Amino acid sequence: MAEPLLSIENLSAGYGDIRVLWDISLAVQAGEITCIVGSNGAGKSTLLRTISGLVPANSGRIMFDGANIANMPPDRILATGIVHVPEGRRLFRGLSVRDNLLLGAYLRKDDTAVKRDLDYVFTLFPILQERWKQDATTLSGGEQQMCAIGRGIMSKPKLLMIDELSLGLAPRLVERLGEALLEINRTTGITILLVEQDVITAFEIARHGLIIETGRVSKTGTTEALSGDPAIRQAYLGV
Amino acid sequence: MVYVQTLVNGIVLGALYACLAVGFSLVWGVLNVINMLHGSVIIFGGYLTFFAWHSYGIHPLFALPVVAAFMFLIGYVTQLLMINRVIDQPVLTTLTLTFGLDLILYNFMTVYYTATPRRVTLDLGALDLFGIAVPVDRVFGMVLALALTGLLYLVLRRSRIGRAIVAVRMDSAAAALMGIKVDRIYAITFGIGALMAGATGAIFAMVYPVTTNLSGTYLGKAFVVCVIGGLGSVPGALAGGIVLGIVESFAGQFFGPQHALTVGFLLMLILLVVKPTGLTGIKGYE
Repeated sequence: MAEPLLSIENLSAGYGDIRVLWDISLAVQAGEITCIVGSNGAGKSTLLRTISGLVPANSGRIMFDGANIANMPPDRILATGIVHVPEGRRLFRGLSVRDNLLLGAYLRKDDTAVKRDLDYVFTLFPILQERWKQDATTLSGGEQQMCAIGRGIMSKPKLLMIDELSLGLAPRLVERLGEALLEINRTTGITILLVEQDVITAFEIARHGLIIETGRVSKTGTTEALSGDPAIRQAYLGV
Repeated sequence: MVYVQTLVNGIVLGALYACLAVGFSLVWGVLNVINMLHGSVIIFGGYLTFFAWHSYGIHPLFALPVVAAFMFLIGYVTQLLMINRVIDQPVLTTLTLTFGLDLILYNFMTVYYTATPRRVTLDLGALDLFGIAVPVDRVFGMVLALALTGLLYLVLRRSRIGRAIVAVRMDSAAAALMGIKVDRIYAITFGIGALMAGATGAIFAMVYPVTTNLSGTYLGKAFVVCVIGGLGSVPGALAGGIVLGIVESFAGQFFGPQHALTVGFLLMLILLVVKPTGLTGIKGYE
């Protein structure tokens, strides 16, 4: 088996005295779509926030592309190729769709490639091109998620982490976004790590799955195998 | 005709107020810091400009960019080394810090320069436009003030660093995820605030006396302009400045100049009750 793009070893992290992640170990293979599922408060978002450097790691290693990135500042982690599309989109109010997308490319100096990536985002989500002048926070929920994902692509990531893709969106839109993720993965080869509460959606998009319970990884496997597991079927799929 | 003259005086004054307040407004909006230093930095810029003119014969127009750049550096370093350490604390903590720094700067200037009012006198005379007299140095000051304010607007709207400042203002955690070094942006923003204050000082040295006694007055003006116009936006500071200038001008005409200040503060109180977001109502940015 090839060296994984991201591998986390015995990671623990939290906020002040409150520990949220306990001894997390996991691996994400390059070029794949992997999902992390688990109930509310299981620590999924904290895990992403620790990887992207917003939350300090107390112990353990986060190996990405051969280097330990644990506790690096967020801008250096981004420069290594990890992009975090945060929960709730977090687009910048008062800035246009285009300016929001360009902020994704804040660290990049390759202007012509930035322009090309902007065109790619606009082909992927034509509605963003139509509304490029509009204040990004006045878009609909689904369009905002497109803009947030687009902003992530503009950072030219090797690993795109998306927190709660489906949050607050109609099923039809979630399906559309899922197709977009598959297309991004297929055409650009970007590895995707998807965090989802909606297990059915997550398993449809991703090939590998990890289940997190109370700050620990409880099960891993292909999503096909996981959806066949009786315990998971009962706990997460409601059948 | 006398009203037109008063109106023109008010607009000229208002442009100066806008320039005075815009840096204060930006710092408050982006960093959530009420910068008590602002008034003294204006005076400091004024002194530097005055002595460059008085001792070396350097025209204020040439002193201005140097003074502004110097103030940017001072502001940048102050934020990076001092204010950033407490930037996540409640607003009262940063206010106390800048208040303390203000005491140091203020008293340093009072001791070093003494509070004797000084002024750059360019003796440019007055323009006469259809019976309305406008002193040329004031018009010159107004043009400079508007140009600088406009330049700041363009920088915030069009440049990469401007986008980063706006992003940090709106959501500093999300800005960090874009690779923006938030503490650096804080330092740059505070530096720009000091730059605008220094430039204002250079402009004011041509039209008003330079004395430390005025530092509190200028800080008060910046405060009123922000509340009237709306916080943290260039158009807000511009609107607030012009409105305050016109109101003070007319208040001086009708009630006597000694009451102009009172009327300005009264206007601020009324707006706080009626429209707390300020005239432009922009809760956003710029």
